Amino acid sequence: MRLLPFDYAIRNLGRSPLRLAMSVAGSLLVVVLVITAAAFVRGLERSLMGSGSTRNVMLLGAGSEESVERSEISASVPGQAAATIAGIQEKMKTPFISPEVHAALAVSTSENKTANAQAMFRGVRPEAFLVHPQVRIVEGRMFHPGKDELIVGQLAATRLDLPRKRLGIGKDIWVDGRRWMIVGHFTAPHTVMNAEIWCSLTNLQIMTRRDSLSCVVMTLGQGEFADVDAFASKRLDLELIAMRETDYYRKLVDFYQPVGKLVWVTAMLVALGGIFGGLNTMYAAFASRIREIGMLQSIGFSRMAIVVSFVEESVVAASAGSVVALLVCMVWLDGLALRFSMGAFGMVLDAPTIAIGLAAGVLLGLIGSLPPAARCLRMPIAESLKAT
Amino acid sequence: MIAPRFVPFVLKQVIRHPLRTILTVGGVATAMFLFVAVQAMQRGVHAATVEEAEDTTLVVYREDRFCPFTSRLPQYYMDQIERIDGVRTVTPMKVVVNNCRTSLDVVTFRGVHVASFIEQHASQLRVIDGSTAQWEHRSDAALLGETLARRRGLNVGDRFDAAGVTSYVAGIVQSTEPQVENAAYVHLDFLQQATDRTLGIVTQFNVKVNEPSQLDAVAAAIDDLFHTAEAPTTTRSEKAFVSHVATDMIELIESTRWLGYGCLAAVLALVGNAIVLSAQDRIKEHAILQTLGYKGGLIGRLIISEAIVVTLMGGTVGSTVAMTIIHWTRLSMSADGLSIPIEANPFLFLVGLLIAAALGIVAGLVPAWQAMRRPIAHCFRAL
Repeated sequence: MRLLPFDYAIRNLGRSPLRLAMSVAGSLLVVVLVITAAAFVRGLERSLMGSGSTRNVMLLGAGSEESVERSEISASVPGQAAATIAGIQEKMKTPFISPEVHAALAVSTSENKTANAQAMFRGVRPEAFLVHPQVRIVEGRMFHPGKDELIVGQLAATRLDLPRKRLGIGKDIWVDGRRWMIVGHFTAPHTVMNAEIWCSLTNLQIMTRRDSLSCVVMTLGQGEFADVDAFASKRLDLELIAMRETDYYRKLVDFYQPVGKLVWVTAMLVALGGIFGGLNTMYAAFASRIREIGMLQSIGFSRMAIVVSFVEESVVAASAGSVVALLVCMVWLDGLALRFSMGAFGMVLDAPTIAIGLAAGVLLGLIGSLPPAARCLRMPIAESLKAT
Repeated sequence: MIAPRFVPFVLKQVIRHPLRTILTVGGVATAMFLFVAVQAMQRGVHAATVEEAEDTTLVVYREDRFCPFTSRLPQYYMDQIERIDGVRTVTPMKVVVNNCRTSLDVVTFRGVHVASFIEQHASQLRVIDGSTAQWEHRSDAALLGETLARRRGLNVGDRFDAAGVTSYVAGIVQSTEPQVENAAYVHLDFLQQATDRTLGIVTQFNVKVNEPSQLDAVAAAIDDLFHTAEAPTTTRSEKAFVSHVATDMIELIESTRWLGYGCLAAVLALVGNAIVLSAQDRIKEHAILQTLGYKGGLIGRLIISEAIVVTLMGGTVGSTVAMTIIHWTRLSMSADGLSIPIEANPFLFLVGLLIAAALGIVAGLVPAWQAMRRPIAHCFRAL
């Protein structure tokens, strides 16, 4: 099959600058929306899945598998687990067992201000840094147990809707009527911890008036999950459940799935609207070129070659819009921190997100051009040449 | 706008290019579907947060707490609150949710004193299945809001397991209150024992006052009373409480209004484009109409009427599909045990149609203006 030269399609694009601009703008808008939806869902999933380690096991209160904040377990569990479960990883005789309290608490920026934002607080001991190696203090120091000090994650300011400077080292925040000083900043990229505030376990227990823990997180060395599960099953008095940390966060991903679906459906509907508009424009654009089609057929180009040329035109215009959309998203979207639910996360513009956006653009060009091109080619050559 | 005798002419113009009309109607329907869905969410926020003159309910919550897991108030506060002037009834309530985070399928258990709950809410509740008598007599029985029951596919007699609580569905109720529609009401002591294994701790107190004008005074009196207590309180009207606690979720929903405006812009672009194409195809016809004595103004009005018909068709399809889906799925956004329902009603449908018609007029203005001002000779020469 003899194809029309590629530059024929490219030159045709310049015949109607307004139509070209509309096609590019339409695909730009649709691709920006598709990429935004993908970056939102990927960012949310990645922050949750990145929070769990395959070697970590959580001990939670039975019935609280969906939310660690609801869980309450005895403060004796870490000691009993260390004494009973074999194969927990150790470093210089310190077992990788982290007792933790998780609580969503309201924060205010001055003593007399009503708290109107809440952040996730995690009360921890130093062992927490062993079981959560993603967490690194990047500025300041660790809090001193017993003092009202805390360290804040990189996205905590986003979570609280405050400027980052407001959570600088040495600044104070008020929680539960008490003044707390920020002494350190930590980072835990692509995890939920990145938007958390950490303080001493005992201090958080005092503040929330509880002597129980939310969970115990342990890292397995030689041991297996079954060992921890057996411990939880045998100690009925403690009312525990053992969960792999990855399974816990996978459940959270499932919990957020309806929100993700809603975002995708919205993006798809916007794309559908774009396709309707694009088809309308293309039908009109190709219909005005029926004589040209007849001429091309009469000088020997096959119908398929003409369809390919038309599709090239449309796909090139849509791809140009997609590339611009991608550049816009790279500047505006990549890493953009979003406050959502009880935490915050960064939008993710990775290879799959980019591929989804570009594929949407190309598909838009294809779907927008194939039916109109096929329709125009149905006309016999003689009639095409006579068309006005 | 146009005489009735021109209506068949307009309709014929609309169906003359069926494919173009179908594509335009499809695009308008998609955009109006999204617009109505966004408006339904905004209405839900309004219904759940905007106070009305007759509101008489206060919510007493632990000071500086948003999440029901962290609001822990001693149940004995109830007696002290009841003694405050202006207080009619006090309902201690334990709230347990499967997750405090924001999503569309959150299950909220509310533990209440059954007898006093029935007494206070009888006028607002309509039992559509099962009975409140069965709910009263069975300790693990739950009374489900219709929205929750439909979303989870639950019927009377089913066992219901969520948030670590297993209960028996004794009845399904309808209510005008969004928070009741999306919750499972169980016995207070049952929920306390099923979750904390301890009695005497509740999440909040719902306080009814005698007169709406007493809300602020009673709220201040309650907070003063517990200012130095082991668990200080913050008391707000029920709707102010929702708007304060669910701020994140409300902000998220309110930000979707930009999507709604975007949809309206898309309708304008789609219909404007289609009408311009249609008017360009008919330059010769417009010349003939002018030759026959039709004034430019009438030609312009015919073009605008065509745009209105197209947008109304798309608006009707999009709004109807959106209303049907919203009605059947009964979605609601929830966070911290509070729900913002996605509400659709006939008023919203009418608003959708009116906006669609208005957009049709705006979209038709430019092509109509061009057609009106084009001299006959130019029209014939344009061919």
